[in-house]
Amino acid sequence: VEPNATIREIRLMFHKLYPRWYPARQSIKLDPKGKSLRDEEILQHLPVGTTATLYFKDLGPQIGWTTVFLIEYTGPLFIYFLFYFRMPFVYGLDERFTSSPHPVVNLACICHSFHYIKRLIETVFVHRFSHGTMPLRNIVKNCLYYWGFAAWLAYYINHPLYTPPSYGKKQINFAVIMFLLCEAGNFSIHVALSDLRRNGSKTRKIPYPTKNPFTWLFLFVSCPNYTYEVGTWISFTIMTQCVPVGLFTLLCFIQMTIWAKDKHCTYLREFKDYPSLRMPIIPFLL
Amino acid sequence: MAASGSGGGSSRADNGYGSQQPRRRKGPGALATAYLVIYNVVMTAGWLVIAVGLVRAYLAKGSYHSLYYSIEKPLKFFQTGALLEILHCAFGIVPSSVVLTAFQVMSRVFLTWAVTHSVKEVQTEDSVLLFVVAWTITEIIRYSFYTFSLLNHLPYLIKWARYTLFIILYPMGVSGELLTIYAALPFVRQSGLYSISLPNKYNFSFDYYTFLILVMISYIPIFPQLYFHMLHQRRKVLSHTEEHKKSE
Repeated sequence: VEPNATIREIRLMFHKLYPRWYPARQSIKLDPKGKSLRDEEILQHLPVGTTATLYFKDLGPQIGWTTVFLIEYTGPLFIYFLFYFRMPFVYGLDERFTSSPHPVVNLACICHSFHYIKRLIETVFVHRFSHGTMPLRNIVKNCLYYWGFAAWLAYYINHPLYTPPSYGKKQINFAVIMFLLCEAGNFSIHVALSDLRRNGSKTRKIPYPTKNPFTWLFLFVSCPNYTYEVGTWISFTIMTQCVPVGLFTLLCFIQMTIWAKDKHCTYLREFKDYPSLRMPIIPFLL
Repeated sequence: MAASGSGGGSSRADNGYGSQQPRRRKGPGALATAYLVIYNVVMTAGWLVIAVGLVRAYLAKGSYHSLYYSIEKPLKFFQTGALLEILHCAFGIVPSSVVLTAFQVMSRVFLTWAVTHSVKEVQTEDSVLLFVVAWTITEIIRYSFYTFSLLNHLPYLIKWARYTLFIILYPMGVSGELLTIYAALPFVRQSGLYSISLPNKYNFSFDYYTFLILVMISYIPIFPQLYFHMLHQRRKVLSHTEEHKKSE
């Protein structure tokens, strides 16, 4: 192997020797307990002598992030429709293909679909992933979660016995406005984050507020995309006044708080001059 | 994608097996140890009270039916007290997993309160005695095991008992629990206990009857895993002790 070989080249060579282990599945380390080496690293820049010992670990079957997201998000989109259009096997033959008398149910369908279509568009055109793949078994777990919850909340919203929100139009209108604002915010953040990696680099940079007012949340929060996402789901809960939606919102909040804290810690570790005012997900609080 | 983040690695060299992570935790401090000893002694005593209560009631009544009533209060008190163990894990004074402990304790508390206490008609069932006896013996051994371990003076008998008697007690307890839940089903159906139906302004429904059936089904994947895990632990712990003895 040449001293100026990159890890990516080593991975390709390894793959030729062992066709079973394609590059994405290889974890190459200098130390069995160390971190995996990145593709861009060059052999002679690593702390090795004239001969280097590299450790290989099989990460298991991998699947691309884009593929994962596409599958995860298409499911809820269509599953919701099964309930909205009241397929016969959902609410029984008597209620098949009927529609709800409540306008909020139509609105909820539009919002839910909008949310997932937006996510799909972002996955294809906006997101830039630092890792190409994730382990295959994650997709089963993730899909069960997303699809399962989508089915559960769609069941109640589109049920013949659905009860519209207690405060009527006021509540619904407020929720719609909040929903649109949060969706716009979330999209703005995704675009801003994507612009940080415009040249295809995989290094991390500190995100800063731009001219877009929605990005000003970066002043207070490390992961405003998660903040806006929670806001979206809170607004959806208010719009539908449905406990399963509320539970889903709670779980999303917990999961995103964990991710936000991780991201925040990573930022703090990598950047000495990281803005100290910022909290992970909720300004000043969390 | 979450990096585990915090903490530097241990400086101790690994033996190459890569078996356990190098122990970074120092173990509970002196105050925590004292508290844990007291906790475990109190729990041992509590379950002994339940055991004695069962025996006395049996001797007084002459039959083993409907003994639940004689130990109802201490059972509820000490089984519910076990919730503290979740906090012990959360605060790190006990090296077990919070999730695993929470799961185990919650399942016990669920059976005590949400089934046996809530569905009065099952309290006279013999299946209740089955799991109460299994729990009582298991807990007495388990808490005394922890007590002695904390004091660094663990008699082999207790260790043996903890890792052997479960072979009978575990299936016994599970059978008692399942039979009790099964017995509760018709009464739950009839009374609509803990159930809410549509329409309601929260747009939510919950059928406790179906929930209990799902709980029963969940025993099928969970019980064998836990059982074989204990068997595996048994082989590890008891053979390790023998090797230790031989090498002395």
